[in-house]
Amino acid sequence: MFRHTPLRYAALVLLASAALFQAFTAQYFGLEILTEILILAMLVLALDMVAGFGGMVSLCHGALMGVGAYGYAVLSTTAGLTPPVAMGAAVAITAGLSWIIGAICSRSHGIYFIMATLAFGQMAYSYVFEAPIFGGDDGLGGIERLDLSVVGIDLNDTRTFALFCLVALAAMYGLAVVILRSGLGRSFSGVMHNEQRMRALGLTVWRVKADVFGLSGMIAGVAGVLAAQHIMYISPGLMAWTVSGEALVVVILGGLGTLVGPLVGAAVFVVLKHELSSLTTHWHLIVGVILIGVVMSRANGIFGFIEDFVAARSKSANTNPKAREGTKDA
Amino acid sequence: MITDLGFWTLQALNALQLSMLLFLLSVGLTVIFGLMHFVNLAHGALYALGAYFAASVAAMWGYWAALLLAPVAVAGVGVLLYSGFIQRMRKSGPMAQVLVTFGLIFVLLDMTRIVWGDLPLAIEVPAMLGGRLAVLGVEYPTYRVFIIVLGLVVLGGLAFVLGRTQIGAMIRAGVDNDEMAACLGINVERLFFCVFCVGCALAGLAGVVAAPLLSVSPDMSLQILIPTLIVIVIGGLCLLQRGVAGALLFGFVQTFGAVLAPQLSSVLIYALLAAVLVIKPVGLFPAKG
Repeated sequence: MFRHTPLRYAALVLLASAALFQAFTAQYFGLEILTEILILAMLVLALDMVAGFGGMVSLCHGALMGVGAYGYAVLSTTAGLTPPVAMGAAVAITAGLSWIIGAICSRSHGIYFIMATLAFGQMAYSYVFEAPIFGGDDGLGGIERLDLSVVGIDLNDTRTFALFCLVALAAMYGLAVVILRSGLGRSFSGVMHNEQRMRALGLTVWRVKADVFGLSGMIAGVAGVLAAQHIMYISPGLMAWTVSGEALVVVILGGLGTLVGPLVGAAVFVVLKHELSSLTTHWHLIVGVILIGVVMSRANGIFGFIEDFVAARSKSANTNPKAREGTKDA
Repeated sequence: MITDLGFWTLQALNALQLSMLLFLLSVGLTVIFGLMHFVNLAHGALYALGAYFAASVAAMWGYWAALLLAPVAVAGVGVLLYSGFIQRMRKSGPMAQVLVTFGLIFVLLDMTRIVWGDLPLAIEVPAMLGGRLAVLGVEYPTYRVFIIVLGLVVLGGLAFVLGRTQIGAMIRAGVDNDEMAACLGINVERLFFCVFCVGCALAGLAGVVAAPLLSVSPDMSLQILIPTLIVIVIGGLCLLQRGVAGALLFGFVQTFGAVLAPQLSSVLIYALLAAVLVIKPVGLFPAKG
């Protein structure tokens, strides 16, 4: 189950203040990067929810984000719905779709689960790539942002939109914490640790998995809607499996199953990407080397490493060095 | 069009040729997964490396030298990968293996871009295989016939080695129960190593063979990866027979789907994969551990 440790609170406060500082001081390019980080952070938050707490390592979250983005784009332009209704409908469609995917894939495990989700993600990708209603490989343009002029907020301003994304990310983080702490979230973690025992306790395992997967897809859908509004143009490249793979890389770099770690990972990844791509066109090479290094070091990503380090330090400070082998707190 | 027999023969040959290419790729991955329970996503990158080596060798000594040397070179890269990463990742879970080999894709992809540049390379089809051949009443490019024949030869060779020789019996024993095989005095580690190298060489061979058909470009490793994985899951991670079945199923569904229902063709193959996983959630050949 997910718990907030003082370290996690500290990291959250640090991240939030860094984001606010950036949002109020940065110029156009800095704000664009901030928004990119916030949207990626929301996607990896959704992925960490299912991968870190339920062992459902999904390779279709990029596609789910794409469903949210395309849903919003088509509903708000072609179907002519107002942005708030289109947003709600797009998120609901994404949630429903990911619930169905979760229900179908709930019986697969390990590499087969990865493959099954990959199949569904690629199915959505190929469909969007071919279908004329979604603009095919040309993508869709002319997407409007949410109009909040009623309350005096202009989202077409870059700074305001970045702050809007920050608020949305905070809300989604809170939602993820609430879900993981609820009875549903606890059952979900139980299923990861021992599926048979949970079944013996009378739990409908597939329902639990599908429900959490649907909720996670919903968060990915929100990320998609924001991504569509951010760039105001979408292309099928948003749904390719490499996007999901990259999201998984970010989760691993940050720290699987820590919820805070992936947020750190998203910030590090986007900044690294921009810094490295200005130095060399081969930034993937460096990201690949870092990924291999992190996985082979057996540390749980950047944040997991810090957590382990702090835990080891506080333990050796608190206890008698000779009786160091106490029970380990999670 | 639909009633013309020649049309059907032509498409069947196309499907067969695609199947054979995928078979060459997937058989290496299948055996590596079946024997070592190791998920090697970088297999597609080895295929791309094979194509690049072939492009370089073919420019110097011609196609036939490339056909011989490139698989050997790819097997050499496989040795490096095995001793550097894979040996250490053997005992980790599938998740860590997927991630490390995903990182390897990034690294290998950019290394090929550094060495060979971003522009696609082309390989000439050797003069001997350049023309067309009358097969079953249709004109068909000789080179594609060559691919089909090569695939069948490799299939036959592997079937003989796996089914009729002592090494094959040892490999089958290792796939079935590696601990028991080790108890019977088989050096399972060395066997794994050899099988891994052969798998890499086959991926390289597939790269060489595919190079004249497609242009040799950096992203060919990503393009081929998904079809290969689909073949493996559809066919099941068993040894030869099912790998062939998966490759044939993929080749025919893909080719005939593209011809008969162009709107659905790209979705069709993923729907097939999803259907297989719904019916058999653990794949057709459950992995241990």
